[in-house]
Amino acid sequence: MSRISEAISDLHKMDMEAEKNGWLQGIHPLPKLLVTILFILLTVSFGKYDLSGLLKMGVYLIITYVLGDISIKQLLKRMKLVLAFVCLVGIWNPFFDREILFSLGNLSVTGGMISMVTLMVKGVYAVSASYLLMVTTSMEDLCYALRKIGVPKTFVTILMLVYRYIIVLLKEIERMMDGYMLRAPKEKGLHYKVWGTMIGQLLLRSMDRAQTVYDSMMLRGYNGEFHLRCKRAARRLDYLYTVGWSAALLIVRIW
Amino acid sequence: MHMADALVSPAVAGTMYAVSAGTAVYAVKKIKPEDLDKKVPMMGVMGAFVFAAQMINFTIPGTGSSGHLCGGMLLSAILGPHAGFLTMIAILAIQSLMFADGGLLALGCNVWNMAFYGCFVGGGLIWRGMTGKKLTKGRITAASIIGCMLSLQLGAFSVTVETLISGITELPFSVFLSVMQPIHLAIGLVEGLITAAVLVFVGEARPETLSTDPSTLGKDGCMSRRKMVGALAASALLIGGVVSLFASGNPDGLEWSMEKVAGTAELSASGMLHQMAEKLQGITALLPDYGFQTLESAVGTSFSGIVGGMIVLAVCLFLCLAIKRLKHTGADKGNTGNEQN
Amino acid sequence: MKRLEIENLSFHYGQGGFQNQVLKNINFSMGDESVGLIGANGVGKSTLLKLLTGLLDIQEGSVRIASLEMNKGNLKKIRGEIGYVFQDSDSQLFMSTVYEDVAFGPRNYGKSEEETKRLVQKALEQVHMEGKSKRQIYRLSGGEKKLASIATVLAMEAGIMLLDEPSVALDPRNRRNLIQVLNELPKAKIIASHDLDFVYDTCQRVVLLSDGEIAADGETEKVLTNQKLLEAHGLELPLSFWRRN
Repeated sequence: MSRISEAISDLHKMDMEAEKNGWLQGIHPLPKLLVTILFILLTVSFGKYDLSGLLKMGVYLIITYVLGDISIKQLLKRMKLVLAFVCLVGIWNPFFDREILFSLGNLSVTGGMISMVTLMVKGVYAVSASYLLMVTTSMEDLCYALRKIGVPKTFVTILMLVYRYIIVLLKEIERMMDGYMLRAPKEKGLHYKVWGTMIGQLLLRSMDRAQTVYDSMMLRGYNGEFHLRCKRAARRLDYLYTVGWSAALLIVRIW
Repeated sequence: MHMADALVSPAVAGTMYAVSAGTAVYAVKKIKPEDLDKKVPMMGVMGAFVFAAQMINFTIPGTGSSGHLCGGMLLSAILGPHAGFLTMIAILAIQSLMFADGGLLALGCNVWNMAFYGCFVGGGLIWRGMTGKKLTKGRITAASIIGCMLSLQLGAFSVTVETLISGITELPFSVFLSVMQPIHLAIGLVEGLITAAVLVFVGEARPETLSTDPSTLGKDGCMSRRKMVGALAASALLIGGVVSLFASGNPDGLEWSMEKVAGTAELSASGMLHQMAEKLQGITALLPDYGFQTLESAVGTSFSGIVGGMIVLAVCLFLCLAIKRLKHTGADKGNTGNEQN
Repeated sequence: MKRLEIENLSFHYGQGGFQNQVLKNINFSMGDESVGLIGANGVGKSTLLKLLTGLLDIQEGSVRIASLEMNKGNLKKIRGEIGYVFQDSDSQLFMSTVYEDVAFGPRNYGKSEEETKRLVQKALEQVHMEGKSKRQIYRLSGGEKKLASIATVLAMEAGIMLLDEPSVALDPRNRRNLIQVLNELPKAKIIASHDLDFVYDTCQRVVLLSDGEIAADGETEKVLTNQKLLEAHGLELPLSFWRRN
């Protein structure tokens, strides 16, 4: 499967997950956003040798993933990307930091080894937490939460529109690339002679589309305001989720 | 290159969030309200276009590898630097959320490293400066290549500095830098060529769509060059200031980090930055009174501690699975008992 | 009641010596009826529709919608009276979910959230999409997108609805369904289409546009069976008539 069709199917899967009727999906998007940010913040605040403390933070992920019935297959796929860069940076630590911390039989564990593993665990935790947020929260719910924490309306509108048209454009590019590849079977990517024409055409088409979108908005009374949905008020469970997790995560961090 | 959450410390992430958010507020203010209404759908669709187009592999002649499009440059050439910057933020946010490319916490860094340099330096300073008066094929190409290379160099430099200040790598500054910069010189060249090809096509087909109108330069368009340099200097000062604030606030950390650095292979090159980094790291650990800083020293780490952490996770996993099991059987019984869901 | 009146409407693109006259002296009026707008490619159908919605400025002649004169000051009121269903549903539907998109119009016209909800539900019922209000737009099929597009216009309770090539890229069942939905709507409609069978099934009256002028205006049955007339203006008999003959 090509990278583009894979991206399309990934987005589909995430949306379908977010539409499920699980208890995590039912929680107000704002608490989920806040807890996620707090978790990542606390996770990266651990010192580079503090692997034992860091590991315990995983309690949050285990509880939410297991009790929320979140499949980790997609998560693992996503992990590759981030871990590549994180590893690239961390892999050098064992070479530069050779201070021996303790020995396991014949193996001497050095500071560099621990700090490398710590870095990787941080990477895994951070990605897992963001993934959890997205897989239980739809984009418009997330936008609503962003509005609530004071992100300007203009920006949230742009975010929603970009998200809306990503799939449309990905499908268009997929068709275009399929057409190209069928007639240029030896190429692995786009040949430099067609860089400008193919992508340029697509760009012009996209601009025309943007004009139509604007027309369509104008015809329905658009005057610069996007009325985002007024969502339900927070329930007791939402408060409990926020307070509970914040307290729990802070305790784990301090402990 | 997207920074990951794991590579930044809270202080670096927070600082970069603040700087990027400040720039975003400035960008919003710079776009006239009546223009904004019209630009919003354009920004949305163009953002999606760049997002999707960045997934295309462009074959680099003579090599087996492929390159991608430089979004910041392209967007600023079409929408202007300010609208381009806001659109890039949306793209980066969606990349980090939906594709784990970058991270929620590192978003501030990524916006700075890619959107700011791409849109304001590449798109604002270079593109506007070189094509503002005359729009020719040569100028478009040169501006795209120079703009891309310059913004990628600056971006790569920022990635290096942010990573080192966050104190997560032992890699000496000079080594890290000497790896990052040349790689990004090559990437910048390729991205520049691809972006140039697209912009040349657009320039020929519909020249009016490229945002080069010199009459807008002073007004809602680009900042003047002097202002731009000023803004860059100011942000450098701000970032440096925040870092040094943390660095000077902890005298104890100094000796400790000297020791630490002395133990590593390369002392001289990494000395200064590492000192700052270590001190910063010490400070940024939350609630220092509770003794986190001691944890930072290697002594706090023991085999038993790590095993302890793992046991906690294992117990938690077991409990959760058990609860889930109970819930399921409970639900089954409930279903058979009476018609509750 | 006259839903739409067009008097001496002319339009050209370009300026000076490079003028391209697209519409010449169009006179037309309609009430609560369904009118098919047909004509070969490039005769000015889309231009006419854009003039009727105020997306293009009127150069000569006048347009009245629900007795409102088309001008800048009346634009917002007029756009509440006339709805436009674009050919490309993906451009028409720019919000993330069906509900949000259909609610976009009413909210912009200052309707309360309760009223909006009622309007959205009613509109979705009229196109038989009531079960899909929470669906993400990009997960709709082509036929569903078209119906959702129509719902966005219905929710604004416009008196007259313009549809640009509504049957394009629909499979037979979705096409049949769309015909049924449109025939159930008791609304003034202008359907611009090359799909003459579709026009035959949905319109009582047909206007044939040729070279910027109205070449014929009459009952569907009469215009669409006139082989000579159609062929003289770059069209052909609807396919179903070929088979009948």
